[in-house]
Amino acid sequence: MIVQELQKIQERCGWLPAEELRALSQRLSVPLHRLHEVASYYPLYRLKPPPRVDVKICRDMACHMAGAERLRSEVQMVASEYPAGSVAVDGVSCLGRCDKAIAAAINDHHYVLSQTSESLRELIGKAHAKDALPHTHWDMSPLGLTIDVYKGRSEYLAVKRWFEGMEANALLKELEISGLRGMGGAGFPTFRKWTAVRGAPGQPKYVVCNADESEPGTFKDRELLRRAPWLVIEGMVLAALVVGAEKGWIYIRHEYPDGIDAVRAELKRAREAGIIGSNILGKGKTFELDVFISPGGYVQGEESALLEAMEDRRGEPRNKPPFPVFQGLYGKPTVINNVETLSWVPGIVLHGGSWYRDMGVRGATGMRLVSISGDIAKPGVYEAPLGQTLRELIELAGGMAGGRAFKAVALSGPSGGFYPAKVPVSELPPKFVQSKLPAGATQFEILDLALDFTTCGEMGAMLGAACIVYNDTRDMVNQALNAVSFYRNESCGKCVPCRVGGQKMVEMTTELVEGRSPPGRLELMRDLGETMGLTSICGLGQVASNPVTSVLKLFPEEVESYRKGQKP
Amino acid sequence: MSINLSEEIVPIVLEGQVVELEKSAAELLTAPWVKLKIDGIEVEMPRATLATDPNTGRKFPRLTTVYDAAVEAKVAVPVLCHRDHMTPVAVCRFCTVEVGGRVLAAACHRAVEPGLDVKTHKTSEKVRKAIGVLTELLLADKQPPRGAHLESERDELLNVAAELGIKTDKPSRFPLTVRDRGRDESSMVIAVDHSSCILCDRCVRACNEIRNNQVLGRAGKGYTARIAFDLDNPMGESDCVSCGECMVSCPTGALSNRAVVEAKPWIGAKPVPTAVNTDDLARHPLFEGISRAFLAWNIQSIVRRVYEPGEIVCREGEFGSSAFIIEEGELEIFLEAEMKHAAKSKSSQRTGIFGLVRTVVTGLAKREPKSSVQEPSRSYIPIDAPVSLELSHPIATLTPADILFGEMTCMSSYPRSATVRAKTRVTLLEIQRNVLYTLQRSKKAKAMLDNVYRKRSIDSHLRGVALFADAITYNAEFNAFVESMRDKVKLVRLNPGDTVFRQGDLADNFYLVRVGFVKVSQGRPGGEIAIAYIGPGGHFGEIALMSQLLELADKTLPGVRIATVSALDHVDLVSIAATDFLKLLSDYPTIRAALLKEAERRLDQNRALTKKGSTEINLGEFLKQGLMDAQSLLVLDLEKCTRCDECTKACADAHQGVTRLVREGLRFENFLVASSCRSCLDPHCMVGCPVGSIRRRSSREIVIEDWCIGCGKCAENCPYGNINMHPFPTGKKMPDPNHPGRTVPVVQQKATMCDLCSSLDGTPSCVYACPHDAAHRMTGGELMTLSIRRAERLAGTKS
Repeated sequence: MIVQELQKIQERCGWLPAEELRALSQRLSVPLHRLHEVASYYPLYRLKPPPRVDVKICRDMACHMAGAERLRSEVQMVASEYPAGSVAVDGVSCLGRCDKAIAAAINDHHYVLSQTSESLRELIGKAHAKDALPHTHWDMSPLGLTIDVYKGRSEYLAVKRWFEGMEANALLKELEISGLRGMGGAGFPTFRKWTAVRGAPGQPKYVVCNADESEPGTFKDRELLRRAPWLVIEGMVLAALVVGAEKGWIYIRHEYPDGIDAVRAELKRAREAGIIGSNILGKGKTFELDVFISPGGYVQGEESALLEAMEDRRGEPRNKPPFPVFQGLYGKPTVINNVETLSWVPGIVLHGGSWYRDMGVRGATGMRLVSISGDIAKPGVYEAPLGQTLRELIELAGGMAGGRAFKAVALSGPSGGFYPAKVPVSELPPKFVQSKLPAGATQFEILDLALDFTTCGEMGAMLGAACIVYNDTRDMVNQALNAVSFYRNESCGKCVPCRVGGQKMVEMTTELVEGRSPPGRLELMRDLGETMGLTSICGLGQVASNPVTSVLKLFPEEVESYRKGQKP
Repeated sequence: MSINLSEEIVPIVLEGQVVELEKSAAELLTAPWVKLKIDGIEVEMPRATLATDPNTGRKFPRLTTVYDAAVEAKVAVPVLCHRDHMTPVAVCRFCTVEVGGRVLAAACHRAVEPGLDVKTHKTSEKVRKAIGVLTELLLADKQPPRGAHLESERDELLNVAAELGIKTDKPSRFPLTVRDRGRDESSMVIAVDHSSCILCDRCVRACNEIRNNQVLGRAGKGYTARIAFDLDNPMGESDCVSCGECMVSCPTGALSNRAVVEAKPWIGAKPVPTAVNTDDLARHPLFEGISRAFLAWNIQSIVRRVYEPGEIVCREGEFGSSAFIIEEGELEIFLEAEMKHAAKSKSSQRTGIFGLVRTVVTGLAKREPKSSVQEPSRSYIPIDAPVSLELSHPIATLTPADILFGEMTCMSSYPRSATVRAKTRVTLLEIQRNVLYTLQRSKKAKAMLDNVYRKRSIDSHLRGVALFADAITYNAEFNAFVESMRDKVKLVRLNPGDTVFRQGDLADNFYLVRVGFVKVSQGRPGGEIAIAYIGPGGHFGEIALMSQLLELADKTLPGVRIATVSALDHVDLVSIAATDFLKLLSDYPTIRAALLKEAERRLDQNRALTKKGSTEINLGEFLKQGLMDAQSLLVLDLEKCTRCDECTKACADAHQGVTRLVREGLRFENFLVASSCRSCLDPHCMVGCPVGSIRRRSSREIVIEDWCIGCGKCAENCPYGNINMHPFPTGKKMPDPNHPGRTVPVVQQKATMCDLCSSLDGTPSCVYACPHDAAHRMTGGELMTLSIRRAERLAGTKS
């Protein structure tokens, strides 16, 4: 209740005045500190009246590469033309629009994609005059990808197939054959998650879709939500039927108003068609499904933090175990899957597990959606078979922008760190070197890396949905500072290693960039990175130092020249 | 969140009480113990132990953690955010251990699993290095506290650094960029220095979980997160009641004591007490594991008192609010007026030596034909100390090995049950209730006290149980009996309201009451009825266990409890398992015979009670309203009262125009029990007073001393709404924030309640003022007797 009630107050007042919070405290019989804990935690809430125009410019990865800092100072100049305090310009974490960098938000609702301050100047003028901002026309065309088995129509044939007599075990068998894994980044086998929840003691059970896509560089779920929302809805209905859940939510980041609108419209349609509701297709089964709009923050994409937000608390990750499959939402067994994972399920039910499995290449199984951005000719969402090499993926996206040379790649947004074009064998796991490289090789060409869970795992890399490529003009120490700042900015602050370690990592990387890194500092950065990885409560803290430690390890020349005070 | 009713609720018996839990939770608590290794040391632990939510009283299984196992294995794992009495949050990560996963685990949160091979910082280099980096991180990020921090208190972070051998005098390896995160000195009592806060969440849990004050929370996010009061208001302007729990929970001194509240619980005490200091106390084994900040904050609740031989420490029948820890010397404990006890009717002795309960039982007995069955005679008398007294020679010796006496008076505000006199020169620590409460919360202290029972008290306790004392007359035989029981007895501690077992449950234990009172009740058509109270020296639970004996075969259901037993106050029980109990019966035919006789008597009494009908007054309602506990009720006889309100006016006149009574309240039969202090035997109001200002001096009335800080805890605790908060001028002045240059008087909220004021004829003003003889002061027992008489009179007129 608290999260929704705070959103209502903010919609009504534009912010959260203390007297409104006191009244809410009375009404809900909730102590003031509980309201303030929540209200002061989420970036969407304002505890002060907002400026007339509030401009937030994305500062991460692709937008950073496209010159977000320069744009911000330009727009600040524009703002200075208005009365003091009426136009605020600030940075914001990844808005999920890396394919059209640079992204900016005006007054939380209106999104602008522009590399220059000119279009922003015009919009700021309109917003300041309280004129309506131009309506955005979203691309609603069919996806045209394999995943959309209905080719742009909302048909729900897989749910109908279920009621024609499909057993839960038969569906789970097809999922097992398919080899479908979690597409949110962790790659956990989907059939195992569903089997665990199905068998877990405790009622009721819940199904939650994690549509809080916030990892910098990731924007594939945005397309699925907007252009094929029936897939995720049907995937959730099937999950509910398999595990025995009667209630579900799609947790969507508030920065995706297009996705929220599309999913809500499709939910209405699905309810009318009897796909969700109290009597699915007249067969007496119940599954209620709603949208839960995230009050903001990257860490909400961590599944237990997401559940905390849904339970009206500060969205801080829980200590695990227990895992959500056993104690999830309200302590009950809960399926939490990514949008894409759920969206593959209708196809697997209709065409069989082998249909999905056989899409993989080079011995890998399945297909995935990749968001590619950075110095690439055609940034966007691509459907890529697992096992495809990085070289093939880059070719699929039109090759390097401007024909420049490839220098580095981030395979999983900032979380997996950066890899150079040629990785020295000494920095790779011996097992990987033995099985994947010819004898006597001294380095591994990263473009030859087969992008599948097994190979990347063996290399010690993470395979996420975001691929960001860097050309030979890029300064990797600078990129590392940008990426590690993102994690510091998005830390929830719950545990010491991430809260304090993240800040110290930013301070020490800044020292390095400014050429004033004292002796022994790099060693301490490695120690801190290791400790953060070993002791942080959640994945965010565990990977937060990767951008820095990977650059220290794999781009030693650049680091060395910075340490000596010479910018490369 | 709604309560999920879909999972089956099952009752289970744990630690001597009946608990209703979801099936999965019940299974956890009854699961076989698991074996695991801590640094190679094998320990066996239960999956979970029973815990009580301090706010709701709800019982739940607290999972046994790796940290608990490390404590068992005597491996010291460093902790900052963890406290045994709080829910683990695992945010500091200092208790990090290796359990064989990709990442390390927080010992305070990770549940034990069979076969777990745990490596702590003592055996794992990886763990040692990680904790070292975390320590350096926090040291480089926080400032030493700048507030009026207590000198005796040491920063726990520095302790951990010292344990790990991290030099704190050398410059940090990290860039030192300590930010001033601000201070808050708006509270009169507690200073907040955000710069030395490490966000361990202990204060937050202390405020919300332990004290249920619901004021403190965390605000903001990430590196800028910090603690905040209410809507991030200054502490002094928030709803904070200055209870101090947050401050005593803070490991780093970010919350520190501005000025010790001038508590004066020892005023006028003789011999004059001497102050103790925190360092001294911290060395006492009983106080190990108790926060230094708590000791410092409550230092005025603990004093040292030295008695010369012959001096009296406390006298039988006195009220008090303290208990005594024996540091040095020997004491004699005895009943001053031996004959007082010997002369009393045996039936009144049966249920205890405390006035009130006797009154109630006597009231009931009046309506019963005198039982022809003889009560067992008693040769030992249980008292509020680790020993019992022999009736013929009621004197015993207490030594430092007995550790503590006077618990019952302190916790449940009973009158002292015996007189204690110094035999040699003795040094005692006298402690107030808040200190005893915290001691009982400490695992270490509880274990020590339990041990005292097993080693020292069992002999005299069992001798104090008439059942045994009468059955085994030869001393040598009794000694053998005590030895045979020593490792079979289990101590069970209950809080008010806890259930020992319920009617219809399967029986598994036999119980002896050591401290406090239990209520025995039965569900009857027309509601629950209390059939007996059992106090120290009493026993219960034998009927169901003996049901298989031939003699009782047709009198009761086999193996099933015939009544519900629950705790009325703070109760200590001794339980004996069914198998041991049955062996006892076969080994001691005299005990068997005595128990059989008693069981038959109780069963007969039951049947007699069942037959009672129309003139029965509503005992259930009497208990529900807590009237049995009352020593001074303002009772208005509704047959006489004309609602003229003279009583209220008289009260206001006697108390500076502020009335302390409201002529409204619960009704019992034809009487109105007005909202005015009842001087309860077990006053709920006293629980949780942070400064011990609500207390009994040496008589039954409860007073609020002038050092009340106005926290309102007593008003909240009084179930009858008899305490009010009123603003009083303090005589101090402060600058007026609205009108610079002017001052406003400082007004402080203080609690007020009936003080049993005396009018011209010695009765309280309200009673004196009543023109219709409708207002009377009486005890709960007297009200009961009055109601019974009236009921009988009515019944008589009807027939």
